[in-house]
Amino acid sequence: MEEGELPWLLVNEVGGIRGILHSHVPFLKKHFHLITMKEFLENRKDVGKMVQAIYLWWHKPVIDKELLQSLPNLKVIANSGVGMDHLDLKLIASFGVKMANAPRAVSSTTADTGMALLLASARRLVEVHNISISPSMDYCEADILGVKVAGATLGIIGMGRIGYKIAVRAKAFEMNILYHNRTRRKVHEEQAVGATYCKKIDSLLQQADFVMLVVSLTPQTHKLIGKRELELMKPTATLINISRGAVVDQEALVAALQTGVIRAAALDVTSPEPLPRDHALLKLKNVIITPHLGIKTDKATYMITEEAVENILAALNGLPLPSEVLPS
Amino acid sequence: MESQELPYVLVDCIGGRLGVYEDHLGFLKKRFHLITMKEYLENKTFLSKKIRAIYVWYHKPAINEELLQSLNNLKVVASAGVGIDHLDLKLLSSYGVKVSNTPFVVSTDTADMGMALMLASSRRLVEGHEMAVSPDTEYFPVDWLGAEVSGATLGIVGMGKIGYKVAERAKAFEMKILYHNRNQRKKEEESAVGAIYCKKIDDLLQQSDFVLLAATLTPQTHKLIGKRELELMKPTATLINISRGKVQNKQNCIKVWWHDKSWENLQL
Repeated sequence: MEEGELPWLLVNEVGGIRGILHSHVPFLKKHFHLITMKEFLENRKDVGKMVQAIYLWWHKPVIDKELLQSLPNLKVIANSGVGMDHLDLKLIASFGVKMANAPRAVSSTTADTGMALLLASARRLVEVHNISISPSMDYCEADILGVKVAGATLGIIGMGRIGYKIAVRAKAFEMNILYHNRTRRKVHEEQAVGATYCKKIDSLLQQADFVMLVVSLTPQTHKLIGKRELELMKPTATLINISRGAVVDQEALVAALQTGVIRAAALDVTSPEPLPRDHALLKLKNVIITPHLGIKTDKATYMITEEAVENILAALNGLPLPSEVLPS
Repeated sequence: MESQELPYVLVDCIGGRLGVYEDHLGFLKKRFHLITMKEYLENKTFLSKKIRAIYVWYHKPAINEELLQSLNNLKVVASAGVGIDHLDLKLLSSYGVKVSNTPFVVSTDTADMGMALMLASSRRLVEGHEMAVSPDTEYFPVDWLGAEVSGATLGIVGMGKIGYKVAERAKAFEMKILYHNRNQRKKEEESAVGAIYCKKIDDLLQQSDFVLLAATLTPQTHKLIGKRELELMKPTATLINISRGKVQNKQNCIKVWWHDKSWENLQL
């Protein structure tokens, strides 16, 4: 590489409905020579050998064997977020390419999304907003009561960084906190948020008034919540999903919501996104669906790009990556 | 009064849009002989001497001089909720009638609602839901963004029980908390939530990303937030009102107020 030339970074596209945000481009261009997939495909051979890094934005570009084979000098792939279920980590590692995600940037904002959904569902915010702005005043106050949050039990399934930040927030709402996780957290971490470990998920499901899903999507968590789990939940309970749509058996969820097996659901993630327009979940009154709000703030998205750049530069300079992801 | 006769309590109405909840009747009727305004008006002569208390639910019945003059054995008016701006306290006092509200049971749920509104507004939850369920939606654009709550500055106007509970919650979101109140809180109370006192409301308005109104409606707080105050706020700021509509000047901003609604079995 010529002296002074910036390393080449491949992205899927810039702008539009799916691309890298325009506001991030100046920062990226300070460190890299930006190449889009379109430019790469127009000149695979020459561009291919120049690309040293990929910045994945909302899961694109798709990383497959063909792409990896065309980028012989690829050193690192940085993912915009923490969900890695769209990546074949073993395949990437087999090409000697390092993988990084952005845990610091996403955790607070995603925890906020979880709390926003919990509160909106508990207090029937969407419903009462629509009543409040409706031209007719035809409703009974007694019919639009919500459920109490203070003193209620929150069951967190998946107590990683995000799950823990949710516990910190829920504690301030005077909630009783249970959690289920692959591994138990340290005692002082549990005590700081007053969280009780449930080794068996059933125990959490039976006691919780609010069940919040904060797990990564893996083969083990695929359809983690199905008919059996929903039936273990209280009929007054609310399911909140901020993990991945595939963690829930959607058909079982529809049935459970229609028949009062659980009270309500609030879903930031579905399978697919968006759902087909005739999907039963769209018609249910006791469901709030949001368009994968997760990290969708100016601040969080910018921090994600900053964290990605930090990891990419570390990899290119032969330094340890701040947030490397190894194939498990 | 005959022994074992329950005291007569006047309520506006039962059921319907704003009446006393049917679910509460069991509890009330165990202790009182409930009389609705309709029943009272149909039999004023007999009932006016029997009624010893009024239970005001959603600000009804309206208590005026005429009513107070007819109810000569009235001892107490119990108002549901904490706001009492709908009651003429001087008038009631002049008739020797005691007044009560329910400050303890409302504070948590009202604070929760304030947080719910702040989160829903900043993250565009209602709009997002509409997009997610709209028949026209084909994709979710990645540049559709909201504003961050974690780490932002919250200015609480009115740091009573409710305002303080909001501060406790906001602290867990790593928010910077400013507050404006008639009186400064004790140092320990401020440190517990990391709240900074703004003696001048202007200081709070100029620095806040979220301004939350949790003040009681009084002649001093009527139209507290008007054109001048709104112009002092950041252009990126959000106003959340969980106090009373009249605390803000409706002509100058969109009404965002809400009743708290959370039903829990009443505990004695």
